[in-house]
Amino acid sequence: MNKRCSIDLDPKRCVACGACAVACMDQNDLSPRSRQDMFRKIAVVERGAGADTQFTYLSLACMHCNNAPCIEACPCGCLRKDQETGFTIYDNTSCIGCRSCTMACPFAAPIFNAQGKMIKCDGCNTRVKAGLEPACVRVCPFDALTLVTEAERIERRTDCSVGAIAAAIQKECRAT
Amino acid sequence: MTRIEELIRAKIPGPESGIVVRHTMCDICTPGPQCGIDAYIKDGKVIKIEGTKGFPSNDGKLCTKGAANRQYIYREDRIKTPMRRTGPRGSGKFEPISWEEAYREIAERLNRLKADYGPESVAFVCGYSKWFRPFLQRLAFSFGSPNYMTESSACYRATVVSSKCLFGVPVIGDLRNTKLFIAWGSNPFINMYPLGRGLLNFKEHGGKVVVIDPRNTQSAQKLADIYLRPKIGTDGALAHAMARVIIENGWSDGPFIEKYVHGFEAYRDYVMQFDLKTAETITGIPAGDIYRVAELFAKTDPSVISPSNAITHRTNGCNNHRAILSLMAITGRFDRPGTCYPDYQTYCHSDGGFQSLEEEFVDQVRPRTDKKGVGLERFPLWADMVDEAQGMHLATQILSGRPYPIRGMLGMGVNTRMYPNSRRFVEALDQLEFFAADDIFWTEACRHADIVLPASTSFERSEVKCYAGRFINYTKPVIEPVHDNRPDTDIICGLANALDLEDELLCSGYDNCLQYIMSPSGIEDWEAFRAHDGPIPVPNAAPYQIGSMLASGQVPTPTGRIELYSEAVARYPHLNPLPVYQDSDDNADPKCYPFVMCSGARLPNAVHTRVHPCSWPRSLRPDVSVDVHPQDAERLEIDQGDIVELSTPVAAIQVRANVTGLTSPGELHMYHGYEEANVNDLLDAGHLDPYTGFPGYKQFRCALHKAGGEKA
Repeated sequence: MNKRCSIDLDPKRCVACGACAVACMDQNDLSPRSRQDMFRKIAVVERGAGADTQFTYLSLACMHCNNAPCIEACPCGCLRKDQETGFTIYDNTSCIGCRSCTMACPFAAPIFNAQGKMIKCDGCNTRVKAGLEPACVRVCPFDALTLVTEAERIERRTDCSVGAIAAAIQKECRAT
Repeated sequence: MTRIEELIRAKIPGPESGIVVRHTMCDICTPGPQCGIDAYIKDGKVIKIEGTKGFPSNDGKLCTKGAANRQYIYREDRIKTPMRRTGPRGSGKFEPISWEEAYREIAERLNRLKADYGPESVAFVCGYSKWFRPFLQRLAFSFGSPNYMTESSACYRATVVSSKCLFGVPVIGDLRNTKLFIAWGSNPFINMYPLGRGLLNFKEHGGKVVVIDPRNTQSAQKLADIYLRPKIGTDGALAHAMARVIIENGWSDGPFIEKYVHGFEAYRDYVMQFDLKTAETITGIPAGDIYRVAELFAKTDPSVISPSNAITHRTNGCNNHRAILSLMAITGRFDRPGTCYPDYQTYCHSDGGFQSLEEEFVDQVRPRTDKKGVGLERFPLWADMVDEAQGMHLATQILSGRPYPIRGMLGMGVNTRMYPNSRRFVEALDQLEFFAADDIFWTEACRHADIVLPASTSFERSEVKCYAGRFINYTKPVIEPVHDNRPDTDIICGLANALDLEDELLCSGYDNCLQYIMSPSGIEDWEAFRAHDGPIPVPNAAPYQIGSMLASGQVPTPTGRIELYSEAVARYPHLNPLPVYQDSDDNADPKCYPFVMCSGARLPNAVHTRVHPCSWPRSLRPDVSVDVHPQDAERLEIDQGDIVELSTPVAAIQVRANVTGLTSPGELHMYHGYEEANVNDLLDAGHLDPYTGFPGYKQFRCALHKAGGEKA
């Protein structure tokens, strides 16, 4: 391994069916109490009206940022990068439930379990190191989610990558 | 954390973690896909599941519901042991009894009803799952009752009736060889994800897709080169307008019609009233768009239209579906590669590329009785085309006692919330002298039963099943029964013994019956097959060769030709041999009930009521909600998440509003079967298609009001 990995989303293939979110709950024994209370969040963004209504379907989780602000924000040192995969992983033994990580995260990826301890998507780090795919990638019925290395992601056409969403947001911001 | 702890936490299979992977299948939805599942087992419990890579139907993938199998099999409301009711019906008061006691009591009660009122007084009703259907039908027939019926009286069988009117057989589209695929009234990404996968691949290789749907769905957004959005239920008018365009422009296939088609002139004269302007008014689709799709369909060769079951869920549904299939007939899009061709099923609604003895299995014990099955006098076309009673008439016959009384019932997986005016169906159940239910879960039907039997999930039992691509599989249990539950087929065979039926084969059990049914497969070593892990190729596979029906000159209709004018329908004066279009509206006053409700269109996280109680899929759309167009919401001052009241002359329910452009102004969409609020409660039990008996789930009048101003 020893390559920086990410879980990429091809927005052209995602239909927001949520199979990834359910597989993630199965993998991680989650019991969500709301639509925000899960590692992988499913969204349908609707624009326009009438017959021309445009829908964008998304499945988003921790982005496993290069310089992850959650790592810096945590006062207890719970979060770190895995040296092999580059996923942002954690050990929440020392977590004091202060929410600093969630506030620092641009995507509000870290959530808190019933014991008040931080939990988040770790990219299925142990699975990936064992040669398996992350649960969300493994289940995705339309191959919208894929596990890619940094090099593979850069090679991708932007419109087939989660980068398309960032580009769309930037365009929107410039326009308004 | 130690390395072993980490492996266990991440559920990595292997000797270190003690986690093993065993193979089973998903039995949550319909028999078509029934995806292969890898069950991760530790200490006898399922701790995780995945799709089985290389499996014929799913190749490693799963849908939103299938991914929730672990929650499903461990649902809290599973029935744990056989039970006998001790309180009033519906009270939920039961006492546990032994299997032997349960079998004995059911047999005594049913045999007494048979002696007192005749065997036809007992109905044998199948809901979900569907895997034991031939067994239940054989049990009914051996018992002497013509009253075997299923919830396919409301699901897909109307498409079989429609297709048989035209082609004499059910048909299936050939995506593999086509250039244009028209998904009419379906959202393949969500209602049949393997087809959605196939269509993504088809598009990447240059295939064209048209989506026709009143809902602006994922498939309309992602698959469609052209998307048409008809007003709810106007599909027949749209099809006829396309037919007129095709005929007037000389794009129909004259030689094909000459050689193979019956009733073209009458059909042509009929569709001429659907000029583009008229069709635009009826369907709401711009005339130019109708023309464009008609031209694209006729000029792209081969092309195929795949009309969904949903088309038939209206009171003019069968004819609308026939109208769509007629387009295939006039353009010669039948029994050629890339069009549609006869769909022969091997066993239990799936095709393994050979003809099993399923029909013989049922037919050889068919009762000799002059009593017609439930609903068959009222729906004679259904009676001619489908070998089962029309279950949507069951409640009416129980309540009226005409033409003869139904006094007892064995209901396996019966889902009361599927029936139109579901409350009335439950009232009918309460009129029965005796009602035994089998199910995996404590459903409403079970709460109203006298004896309740706990059934196994697919994880706890074995099943023989065929798959497209000429495969056959014999699954094995991957866990011990979670409770004291048994496979549905064992229950049926056990009851056959307890009832003292003279049916040696059925009494001998599931495996023996399957050996008989599958004997044409060419499997020589049955024990080796039973022991084999995973699907094997069918030795004697001889799948249908496209073109052979037309080559034989035998279309199995009354005239031996493809019938635009159906002679099978012409036998009945109250039905029209032509696929005429009329509005499927009900009789409710449009002033009081201005909205058109379309219920049951698939959500990603639901299939009927199967996973409504599972928190994983449910968390994706926790609220029971109705889709309302933003314009209507604004006019009625309804905000996202507001509680609204939906009402018809039959009933009223309260749900949340989901304000979305997925629907059109004046049209509402809602998923069915929620315990909190079931949209099928609103539907008049008499709102049925006279051709098939199918309920008009997808078009009935409804009022929408904001309720009490409460905000979510």
